[in-house]
Amino acid sequence: MTVENLDLIAGWAGLVLTLMVFSYLLADNFLYRIAVHVLIGTAAAYIAIAAVEEVLLPWLRATVFSDDAETSASIRALGILPIFLGALLLLKASPRFARMGNFGTVFMIGIGTGVALVGAVIGTVLPLARDASNSFDHESVLNGAVLLVGTLCTLVYFQYLSRRRSDGEPVNRVHIRTLRFVGQGFVTLTLGALYASAILTSLSIFSSVIQDQLRFILDQLGG
Amino acid sequence: MQADRKTRRRRRLKLGNAVNATLVLALGFTTMVGLISPADSTVGLTADIFLQLAGVLAAVAVLVGVSNLLFVHLGRLPRVRKGGFYSLVVILSAAAVTAVHVLDRTDAWGGDLEGEKVGPRLFGVIQVTLESALAGLVFFFLVYAAYRLMRHRVTWANLVFLAAVLIVLVGWLPLKDWEGAGDVRDWLMEIPVTAGSRGLLIGIGLGTVTVGVRVLLGRERAYREP
Repeated sequence: MTVENLDLIAGWAGLVLTLMVFSYLLADNFLYRIAVHVLIGTAAAYIAIAAVEEVLLPWLRATVFSDDAETSASIRALGILPIFLGALLLLKASPRFARMGNFGTVFMIGIGTGVALVGAVIGTVLPLARDASNSFDHESVLNGAVLLVGTLCTLVYFQYLSRRRSDGEPVNRVHIRTLRFVGQGFVTLTLGALYASAILTSLSIFSSVIQDQLRFILDQLGG
Repeated sequence: MQADRKTRRRRRLKLGNAVNATLVLALGFTTMVGLISPADSTVGLTADIFLQLAGVLAAVAVLVGVSNLLFVHLGRLPRVRKGGFYSLVVILSAAAVTAVHVLDRTDAWGGDLEGEKVGPRLFGVIQVTLESALAGLVFFFLVYAAYRLMRHRVTWANLVFLAAVLIVLVGWLPLKDWEGAGDVRDWLMEIPVTAGSRGLLIGIGLGTVTVGVRVLLGRERAYREP
């Protein structure tokens, strides 16, 4: 088999798979499901291959199977630790030994929480709060006010503190209700704009897919 | 006797929770302090090792997940009427990708394909094509869902949502007589949408901090024993 033949088979396979996916527009059917299951199988295999080749093998070569004579026994042991903890995750399938599997989870949650906390504070909350406080720096007064009020009202919209009336009904003060109402407007506008952006993105992808497949068909027809 | 065993079991479970919570607190706190400390300090280097260990552990977890997926589909194979055929498709697809990768790695292709890497080509055909087609398919459902929104119930929030959608879509069109639509769209994206998304992102950040602190204090059930 030549490379050209391989590309030809790949092109036809791509066309068939695309048609199988778009057949869902008619109804949920056998062909669409086959295409989705092909995607699941290949994605799982690619992820597993990437995990082994890009992470596990380099790690094991650098620690457990290191050729460097100066690599200490403690580094080799450290190399085995995540593999051992990962293997413990398998025990979560057994009700009797599920507790042992928690160690791997605990390790991931502990480190992940540390990273998430630092990332949320340093990477999100502080820069955005600084931007919000500088709303008037680069904009007109009106735009700056809209930016600041919008940000604050959006935050107020997501707070659920309220007083309880004697009959048990929760009630907010008028000014909080007003701020929440304005915040809801900003959230709705934002989600609408993001939704429209998603439509445009998917439209671009759709036209790109159609263009690629039409070009392949025209190539085959000699057009 | 049985009551005594139950009490001992309960004690052991509580001890397990305490050990888990202590480990999470120690690992999380060390990572947090290490990330904001100089990279060459002891705690910075410790956090770096922790992050590498977490990365490798995540890779092992991915392998465990993929194995679980394949075992579940292997178990479904005999039940042809309950999706056994689709499970066969999943297993064959995964096996084909793995086989091609092994052949690539061992340079086992002969003839004109000698020295070629078939795996990346296969990736381009199957993975990229299928994902693009599915992403393109989403277009139809997004438009249909927007249409259904107004048929379901008309509220002021629905109207604002649809107005924002229409402004962004119309503003995107290159219409000569409607240049104002592009300006309105740009203003909407730069001012109100920026304000809203800034508020949403700060809210998500604050929520992450709240949940993170609860996890570090052992108040979340994610790793606690029942």
